[in-house]
Amino acid sequence: MNWKRASIAAATAAPVIGLFAWGLTRDPNSIPSPLPGREAPVFALQVFAPGQGELMRPAGDTVRLTDLRGTVVVLNFWASWCLACRDEHAALSDVARSYAGQPVQFLGVLYNDVPDKGTAWIAEMGGQSYPSVDDPGARVAIDYGLYGVPETFFLDATGRVAYKHTGPVTAAVVRFKVDSLMAAALHAAPSPTAADTAGANPKAGKVQ
Amino acid sequence: MTMKRTKWGALAAVGVLVIAFGWLIYGGLDSNVVYFLTPKELLAKGAEGYDKPVRLGGQVKPGSVVWDDHALDLRFAVTDGAGEITVHSKGAPPQMFKDGQGVVVEGRFGSDGVFKSTSLMVKHSNEYKAPTKGERPSDMYKSLMKSPTT
Amino acid sequence: MTRLLAFDSIVVALAVTALGAILGPVAVRRGRRDWVMYLYAAVYTNFVLVTVSTLALVYGLVSHDFSISYVAQVGSRATPTFYTIISLWGALEGSIVFWAWVLAMYAAAVVWINRKREGNLVPYAAITLLVVVLFFHILLVGPANPFQPVFPVPFDGPGPNPLLQNHILMGVHPPLLYLGYVGLTVPFAFAMGAMLSGEVANDDWIRLSRRWTLASWGFLTAAIIAGMWWSYEVLGWGGYWAWDPVENASFLPWLTCTAYLHSVLVQERRGMLKLWNLNLMVGTFTLTILGTFLTRSGIISSVHAFTTGTIGYYFLAFIGVVLVSTLFLVAGNSDKLASEGRLDAPLSRETAFLLNNLFFTVFMFTVLIGTLFPLVAEAARGVKVSVGEPFFNKMTLPLMVALLFLMGVGPALPWKKAPGPELRGKLLPGLIVGVLFAAAALVAGTRNVYSVLAFLFAGFSLVVNVGEFVRGASARVTAHGESWIVALSRLVSGNRRRFGGYTAHIGVVFVALGIAASSTFKQEQEATLRPGETVTVAGHTLRFKNAWGREEKQRQVIGATMEWMDGDRVRAVIEPRMNYYPTSDQPVPTPDVRNTLRGDIYLNLMAFRQDGSTVTVKVIWEPLVPWIWLGGLILCLGAIIGILPERKRLAGDRRTPSPAPSLTEGQP
Repeated sequence: MNWKRASIAAATAAPVIGLFAWGLTRDPNSIPSPLPGREAPVFALQVFAPGQGELMRPAGDTVRLTDLRGTVVVLNFWASWCLACRDEHAALSDVARSYAGQPVQFLGVLYNDVPDKGTAWIAEMGGQSYPSVDDPGARVAIDYGLYGVPETFFLDATGRVAYKHTGPVTAAVVRFKVDSLMAAALHAAPSPTAADTAGANPKAGKVQ
Repeated sequence: MTMKRTKWGALAAVGVLVIAFGWLIYGGLDSNVVYFLTPKELLAKGAEGYDKPVRLGGQVKPGSVVWDDHALDLRFAVTDGAGEITVHSKGAPPQMFKDGQGVVVEGRFGSDGVFKSTSLMVKHSNEYKAPTKGERPSDMYKSLMKSPTT
Repeated sequence: MTRLLAFDSIVVALAVTALGAILGPVAVRRGRRDWVMYLYAAVYTNFVLVTVSTLALVYGLVSHDFSISYVAQVGSRATPTFYTIISLWGALEGSIVFWAWVLAMYAAAVVWINRKREGNLVPYAAITLLVVVLFFHILLVGPANPFQPVFPVPFDGPGPNPLLQNHILMGVHPPLLYLGYVGLTVPFAFAMGAMLSGEVANDDWIRLSRRWTLASWGFLTAAIIAGMWWSYEVLGWGGYWAWDPVENASFLPWLTCTAYLHSVLVQERRGMLKLWNLNLMVGTFTLTILGTFLTRSGIISSVHAFTTGTIGYYFLAFIGVVLVSTLFLVAGNSDKLASEGRLDAPLSRETAFLLNNLFFTVFMFTVLIGTLFPLVAEAARGVKVSVGEPFFNKMTLPLMVALLFLMGVGPALPWKKAPGPELRGKLLPGLIVGVLFAAAALVAGTRNVYSVLAFLFAGFSLVVNVGEFVRGASARVTAHGESWIVALSRLVSGNRRRFGGYTAHIGVVFVALGIAASSTFKQEQEATLRPGETVTVAGHTLRFKNAWGREEKQRQVIGATMEWMDGDRVRAVIEPRMNYYPTSDQPVPTPDVRNTLRGDIYLNLMAFRQDGSTVTVKVIWEPLVPWIWLGGLILCLGAIIGILPERKRLAGDRRTPSPAPSLTEGQP
């Protein structure tokens, strides 16, 4: 056994593995969104699913983004026909409930679907803690450059898009982002850009 | 001694081969890579973006689709919310091509400001979508469903 | 119930393989042959357990047990039973179960067949197999667990991906691919066994794994051809190969494995290239894992990619283990692998094999770099790019043409020495036919250099390889007075490896002709037609009769009836369709293809008016495409011939002395 030669050869594997490890943190199918760092497109949409407890907004209420300045907003686009939305539903609902009373607003936006089906889906999934609004004609989805569902946008307290997440979110991702945005709002620091904070969290996954 | 010399000779030959191979690959990649851009990014390139193979990703701007099914001529605008580009394509679009749909078009951006597309792909939003009422083919194509099957 | 049985079997199998993989090396190092029996028992036990688990999952699918997460994900009551069963490999988790099962089967068979062999090579090979099995079990209890409970139990599921339930080839291509892909673990395990046991200097690992390698190669070849066929029949663009990362992933190990099948002959005959062959085999296995990683982790953008999760990190860790351990072992053992022979003549069979290996290796790196380049470009320069067909075509066409040429020259060259005057007689007929082929291509209108060269060398190689059969058989006819059929069958069965190789070469010629003709002379046109209107492509006229729709159990179908006209007579009815599955927002285009020996008429329904008054169809004339599938069959036949045991001398043969050694293995 030639140990020296063997060790040198084995070391050559490192760059290959490094490249793949880096690649895993990227999503090749995602198209870079022009939104992060920019002013979030404003909207005024009607609530069709009221949510529960403290987070409840009566159905028929109109949610205006302009009224939500000063709070962090988590905008989750979903649909009853979307399978991946099922995966993230419980995590989102639980996390939203745990932030009740804090300056953060969770909002579901129904995409390419009808409110009746959305309501039935929420019932089937065992309820949703935060309200959902309907987006007829997908106008808001187009403004946000949506490629599919689920996609989740995190808006900071000044109304800018701080992050966009493609695909189902996990509780850890949501908490991390909401916490950092609330902290930023407290210190009145400029909103963090996507790149530097996303990299700090290994679980952030496909963040742009 | 001769063993050593053949060894170095072989190493040199391998080195030359590897360099030649690398050079060929580099040349091949340099001229054949397709960039993946959004309308905003493509417009930002200015004249540099003209006549290069590009994959343009975005959404079909609602109300922009003009389709002539006899000339097989399709025009529409792709937007990413920050910029928009008119796309011209020959051939029938995929059946589910519609307003607001996420699309990826491959082709070249001309200096006339029109993107000539060679292929048009509809981006699936997800694996699973139950059609809403009225979208089911049996509703949409009622007259066809009744016609005799051959 | 079913779920628990399936899941618990995997958990127990995980424990058994882990135990075997950990205690196995201890037993071997201590020289305890009696303990090695327990190692082998672990391999058999694992096979039984994984079989139970796989059958339970299939039962869950067929009985629509939606309390199992995988069934809830891909099952549907409306799906026909055939597609329900094959949805076992339709999504990520199920495909890993299937993979684990195929691997368990191979491992059990390998160990059973070689269980009596002395020495440490087989125990170490068994340990290697167990380690690979262990990795897949970890996936199955971790990120790719198909047996998670679903509550509340849904009444029905979405059914498999529509694209995957739209064609019968989906039942053929994936199992073949797994049999090939997974089978390559066996020669890898023998290579590792040889290095770990120190038996690396002799050719035992090659001899013991020869049939496994050849069988895996045959399955992989069949899988690639079947994949091309599926893509051609289903995807609707009229092509069969797009250099998509998923296609490349299956092609990369095929390239190195094919190189190995050739270079290993040089080692067996001349004692050369030992280190190289070890590298090729280890590299082939690494490429299969790499390919799986690329397609399952979502790291590279592909049309076929599976949905992703954390599984990528597991694969990455495994690739790391494989790369580091194999590089370490191969480099560490390189001192023992010096060549015994030397290259005696610049123009000999050995040279042809060396060039063959050089081209295959360059081919592999070209495809690998093209596949990985988007990742590198994003890492280095932060730009999103894709590498399309032009790159691959430009870079690989010269290699393909060169390999086609070598395939004709190689069999005509003698081992060890420069060819004598008989070479002319062997090559000249081939050259004449090749020139005729090329002339025909020129007359048909191509001015593409590679196309002309492909026809030239295809004709050339065809005649040289067929000539080997003819020469050998006619010698027997003269010498033994046998009939041609008997002579041919005895010739082949007397030297199966050599004639299996030539058979495979003939298969490659057919594939090459099909590819060259269809990519050069393909003609296509799109047209929007009213009933009764016609469109003509490459002299073939098609008339649109009517559009129709019908309800089927699991889908709704819109179709167009087109008539392929021969004057006023209807030659054939072709019905391209669009299938609407309730679970997909897009219809699945379902082209209809009419095969003839000269080529295919390929129709795809592109669009239609809602009332059926007009349809838009794409009509493609695809010359010689069926030859590709035919060539694939011949290639597999070649592999089968090579695997079958050599014929013992027949009674009738005994009278004459066995043919001179020059008639065995490769010597013309």
